[in-house]
Amino acid sequence: MNEIRFTLNGKEVAYAGSATDRLLDVLRNEYRCTSVKCGCKEGECGACSVLIDGTLLNSCCVAMGAVEGASVVTMEGFRETKRFAALDKAFGELSAVQCGFCIPGMVLAAEALLSRNPHPSEDEIREGLSGNLCRCTGYNAIVNAVNNAAKEGNGLW
Amino acid sequence: MEKISQSVVKKDHAPKVSGRSVYVADYPSDGVLCGKILHAKVARAKVLGVEVPELPEGYFYVDAKDVPGDNNVNIVLDDTPVYCRETVEYIGEPIAMLCGPDPKVVEQLRDACKVNYEELEPVLDLRTATEKFFDYNFGHGDVDKAFAEADKVYDEEFETGYQEQAYLETQGMMAEPEEGGRMFVHGSAQCAYYIHGAVMRALGCGPTGVHILQDVTGGGFGGKEAFPSILGCQVAVAAHKCKKPVRCVFDRREDMEYTSKRHPSLCHYKVAVKDGKVTAMDIDVKFNAGAYSTLSAVVLQRGIIACPGIYNVPNVRVHGWAVKTNTSPCGAYRGFGAPQTFFAVEMMMDHIARDLGVDSLAFKEAHLVKQGDSTSTCGKYHFPVPIPAMIEEVDKACDYRKKRAEYAKPQTGRYRRGIGMSMYFHGAGFTGSGERDLIKAVAKLRKYKDGTVEVLASNGEIGQGVRTTFPKIVAHELNLPLDKVYYNHPDTARVPDSGPTVASRSLMVVGELLRRAAIKLREQWVDGEEQEVEEHFKEPDFLIPFYIDKFEGDAYPTYAWSVNAIELEIDTYTGIAKVLGAYGSFDVGTPIDYNVVMGQMEGGFLQGIGYASIEKMDYDAKGRIRNNSFSDYLIPTTKDVPNLKCMLHVEKYPDGPYGAKGAGELPLVGAPGAYVEAVEQALGGVTLNHAPFTAEDTLAVITKEAI
Amino acid sequence: MVNGYIATSLQEALEIRASHDVVPYAGGTDLMVENRQGVEYLFLNKVSELKKITADDEYVRIGAAVTFTEALANANVPQLMKEAVSRIAAPAIRNAGTFGGNLGNGSAKADSVLIEFVSDAKLRLVSKKGERMVDVDKFYLGRKKLDLGSDELIAEVLLPKKGLEQYSYEKVGGRNALAISRVSFAGVFAAENGRITNAAAAFGAVADTVLRYKDIETTLIGKTIDEAKAMKEDYLKAYAERMVLTRGRVSAEYRKNVCMNLLRDFLTKFGI
Repeated sequence: MNEIRFTLNGKEVAYAGSATDRLLDVLRNEYRCTSVKCGCKEGECGACSVLIDGTLLNSCCVAMGAVEGASVVTMEGFRETKRFAALDKAFGELSAVQCGFCIPGMVLAAEALLSRNPHPSEDEIREGLSGNLCRCTGYNAIVNAVNNAAKEGNGLW
Repeated sequence: MEKISQSVVKKDHAPKVSGRSVYVADYPSDGVLCGKILHAKVARAKVLGVEVPELPEGYFYVDAKDVPGDNNVNIVLDDTPVYCRETVEYIGEPIAMLCGPDPKVVEQLRDACKVNYEELEPVLDLRTATEKFFDYNFGHGDVDKAFAEADKVYDEEFETGYQEQAYLETQGMMAEPEEGGRMFVHGSAQCAYYIHGAVMRALGCGPTGVHILQDVTGGGFGGKEAFPSILGCQVAVAAHKCKKPVRCVFDRREDMEYTSKRHPSLCHYKVAVKDGKVTAMDIDVKFNAGAYSTLSAVVLQRGIIACPGIYNVPNVRVHGWAVKTNTSPCGAYRGFGAPQTFFAVEMMMDHIARDLGVDSLAFKEAHLVKQGDSTSTCGKYHFPVPIPAMIEEVDKACDYRKKRAEYAKPQTGRYRRGIGMSMYFHGAGFTGSGERDLIKAVAKLRKYKDGTVEVLASNGEIGQGVRTTFPKIVAHELNLPLDKVYYNHPDTARVPDSGPTVASRSLMVVGELLRRAAIKLREQWVDGEEQEVEEHFKEPDFLIPFYIDKFEGDAYPTYAWSVNAIELEIDTYTGIAKVLGAYGSFDVGTPIDYNVVMGQMEGGFLQGIGYASIEKMDYDAKGRIRNNSFSDYLIPTTKDVPNLKCMLHVEKYPDGPYGAKGAGELPLVGAPGAYVEAVEQALGGVTLNHAPFTAEDTLAVITKEAI
Repeated sequence: MVNGYIATSLQEALEIRASHDVVPYAGGTDLMVENRQGVEYLFLNKVSELKKITADDEYVRIGAAVTFTEALANANVPQLMKEAVSRIAAPAIRNAGTFGGNLGNGSAKADSVLIEFVSDAKLRLVSKKGERMVDVDKFYLGRKKLDLGSDELIAEVLLPKKGLEQYSYEKVGGRNALAISRVSFAGVFAAENGRITNAAAAFGAVADTVLRYKDIETTLIGKTIDEAKAMKEDYLKAYAERMVLTRGRVSAEYRKNVCMNLLRDFLTKFGI
């Protein structure tokens, strides 16, 4: 049987399990990428967001067979980048992180947004993060943090 | 801004933002059994027996018979079982736990269990339910005389629904037997010592037979106050039987359907008015407790104490009762009984004002309490009541009075606007003498040889920032850089019981203990030595003693205050209300970190707007919660209230650290009143009596009233 | 691969589809929520023939594995369709969700399908044996029932290139994002030389399938605006009588009310 080969945070990996398995479960259990949170398993909260070939996806709604040949990035990989550093700083300065459970997904949603639109308006930021639920913050601090990161991280995106 | 209020990067920021924080589901699974609960499928029944499939080696079935101690969970009363007794009382009640190494196999085994029920008639409807868990009466003045002399009497009923905490991390606990027989229980929780007491009782062991660690917790909002005690007992009993670590993490549907939520309520107000002023209120508050009493006593107490609102009412009679129904037990949720009654009283005042032909804001202003006035329980508002200034702040932020007058004029066309205002308090800390008589908080500071200082307390970081604000207070008094002071997640094996993480008390009560401890340590400070100081709770001496049997005295030492305004636009074709702006002025005393407090205000306010509008949860004819997923129970997204403006008004409390009061719960409380008042106005001055008020409700009114 | 097949060409996909009992997997956003056990997926996300958007004189052809995000970035896709898909859920779902998947899931809540109904779109279905075209409304046989053979795949959606310029689109969800339609409405209007040539109205998320009543629509065809105005109330009454809606997350009454309001507004918008 062929394994499913893909790149995880820049490293080539091969998964021998079922093609119908959820990427979310495989990332957490097989590769110990526990930054990828399980909030609902229905694509309704965004806590399990990852980047697949640079595109934001809910890993709970991706079957392993669909990642063959793809590049998957989770917070475990993204946190090593300069872009992360800019977002980290902006989120920190505004205390945009409360319980933290939505945050890895939220930051990856911000990265997906900024990589497509480096200078988003507030409405565009709200749209870009609209699939990521946060129950703690009321979103203002998060939206402002993404806005600040976009401004201060000028050139990174 | 005072130095203590200046924001810092939170202590838990780095691990959380980078995804390094370990929540209970994130511990490796090696050697850990997965536990899944066998939930009851009927609302009320005798359990005749459970046919358990043959279990492969290493798999276990755990139920009440396996509880080594007492099968009753320590909450307020002890009616909640660890695993069900002879009957099940609601859909979802835990009958047993299946445990084993492979989650898929555990699930299959669980689903293969056949429970034989003898079904009994369930009680579901709050209106017809009569079995009382709690029944309170109090009041003052001569209510009957006031009604006899009234110019007019108003009689209305108000209804509120469930609200689900919808923390992003579901409930999850893990129990690990340690060498020497001690049980280690850890997970997502607010109150390590509550779990400690509960697990001790279930395992039948002494205080050293168990220790509890609060793991990084993905939100609580009250939902992880009592529930983790139940789940903690269940995993502890399972680990005791299996002799292996057992972890049970709920999936979202399980969590939404079966864990505690805000109590649905039915409030009946009879109000006497004479010469344009409210002279008496006769109020009946009925809460749906669900199948077990859990925290309903204290939730109801807070609800009824607040039920006359922030208004001077000379004659008050209050009856509060929490009734049993065969539905999921309700429990703590931010606001703790007060959002229900504040909604009712704010709407009531609004409706009376409209009937009298005066503006609701002016009517409310004419009745406002002020410093020195008597509270509903004949205590005293000891400190200034800043509401008038806060009304002006909100008015300035959104042009409230002008818009209110403008939107009152007849409107035509598809879209109609309205604006509404609510004003309210949140009593800071535990109700009554709970701090003095029950909690008796102790907090410690330990200074190490290298000059670093550790905070030892039991209050859990659940996003509200105590891992940052506690050290800030201590560092401030010790004049140390913040990185020299730290506060880890509490483990009951090494921290004293400084009380639970509830009632907006942590910062105000425990923060003050830490401030005093820090002063003590400063005075005794010796370089290079390990030192420890300890502080105990002392009740402020200005308090009028509170008697819970009579509901008399100071229910709270002080109050956090707030004024909210919500402006919206209704699409009369669909009933959808677009929130154009939500404005709040909040007085929580001195902010111990401006960003932290603003984050609490904004987050709480948005939860309140959700509660008022889209967060609808109901059960079907069999008692099953229908809205059990994030696609059926909707909470606000980034796009629902983009214009959310919070302001802080500071009225210092002398007995809180640097003037801080309770903060976390306040911002949720008033949104339904302001929201529904705005809907009423947009619909041309209709009278509305329930929350949430959904698009469907709105369109029904539009159709009925031919708006 | 365990429990799955990855096709890299349409030919290969059709071979697998014909010879194995597989569930076609395009975006996964519905399938993974359903989480069916014991199935095998046929992954279509690498089939380039299904990932194209092309246009000829008559149709814009959207491949079944084209995602909503891809469609939003494509100049050929009509504005009406863009408006509908731009309001699907949230970015991550639009990045995964596909036109074929929206159809194949069989739900009357599918936002892109509503537009296909109102615009008389055709679907190109292919199998090893050949291909056939089917009108989108004929493709839906009932609740979750599709006219799709076990050896067939949806290849393309053919949207008419012309006639979709004047439209009305409304999505009624429970909130401003991440919302499943509770009612959706699309109306397309056209008139030539003062006479109505098209007044199509489709209602989504209110019954087992998207609803459209062509026989009622026909009564407006050929009429002047003034003539249409005169018969407006009767026209609306005909809809009100015909529409028997089901309850879902909201009541049947609510759905009916909203549908009638939006239909009336659609007519008003075009002067009727």
